[in-house]
Amino acid sequence: MLSVADVPAPIGRSRVDGALAEIERHEWPLVLPVMTPSPETDVETVEERTARFERDAMIYIDQLYSAAMRMTRNPHDAEDLVQETYAKAFAAFHQFKEGTNLKAWLYRILTNAFINGYRKKQRQPIQDSHETIEDWQLARAETHTPTGLKSAEAEALEHLPDSAVKDALQEIPEDFRLAVYLADVEGFAYKEIAEIMGTPVGTVMSRLHRGRSQLRGLLADYARERGISVPEREAEVRS
Amino acid sequence: MSCGKHHDVDCSEILDRVYVFIDNELDGASCEQIQSHLDECGPCLREVDLERMVKALVARSCTEQAPVELRQRVMFSIRQVQIEIGEGRELH
Repeated sequence: MLSVADVPAPIGRSRVDGALAEIERHEWPLVLPVMTPSPETDVETVEERTARFERDAMIYIDQLYSAAMRMTRNPHDAEDLVQETYAKAFAAFHQFKEGTNLKAWLYRILTNAFINGYRKKQRQPIQDSHETIEDWQLARAETHTPTGLKSAEAEALEHLPDSAVKDALQEIPEDFRLAVYLADVEGFAYKEIAEIMGTPVGTVMSRLHRGRSQLRGLLADYARERGISVPEREAEVRS
Repeated sequence: MSCGKHHDVDCSEILDRVYVFIDNELDGASCEQIQSHLDECGPCLREVDLERMVKALVARSCTEQAPVELRQRVMFSIRQVQIEIGEGRELH
């Protein structure tokens, strides 16, 4: 049996090399330090690899599509982005070490494909997020109100429909949106988000902070626009 | 500003760490410190609960299902890449 590693594959190879080079450029310390195939993949046929990929990677398609929807903001581009992500991931899959974080690896490819392809293609002015760490740290000098009125806010927000939350998320700058999505929907740790987005952890924290503050403000606006009343029970309880 | 009561850790310090707390990014000792503050400080607890609620709201609202056609398209493109790799092997 021929091993995949021995195959120069003139046609497929160019695509494989292209995808690999792209991933390598972004330094992926968790999964791609190993340039020599591991023993298992050494003896794996292309068909076996396809089956393994379909079994292990395809289960994330809904999640990747959700993320792509948050990135591109329309179903057509989101579908193209997911398809491109899977093609790239499959072409590079023999490099992926089993047992490491496949989901994070797929998200990294998705994010790169979006940043390098779709964002440029869309030619939309990139929303300037004016992010500096000092900025948000200073802003965080706020405190809670002693009257505890914000809990009423919680009650108002809780009844917002999903569409309002999606709309609000679409309104915040892209980098903030993605950080919030990865943390809140996917539950990635800060370190993983940093690797997926190719930024330091401090930047992730800053993006999360600013993104969530803006989101909360927008959600409160939505609640008010929809005439969701704010109960006064809290103030009574505390007095 | 704080809630007016005395706490071992000031309210502003707790509010500063709301996100790292709800994202489970703090070590056990720091979590305990915050938790014991929350046990005795209603306003801070409400603030933490609110941020948790917004986090849950985003999680609840942003899940989509990939269209069936997309799944088929993806499978098709994977097969294409597979064929290309396979052809390369035969050429070898």
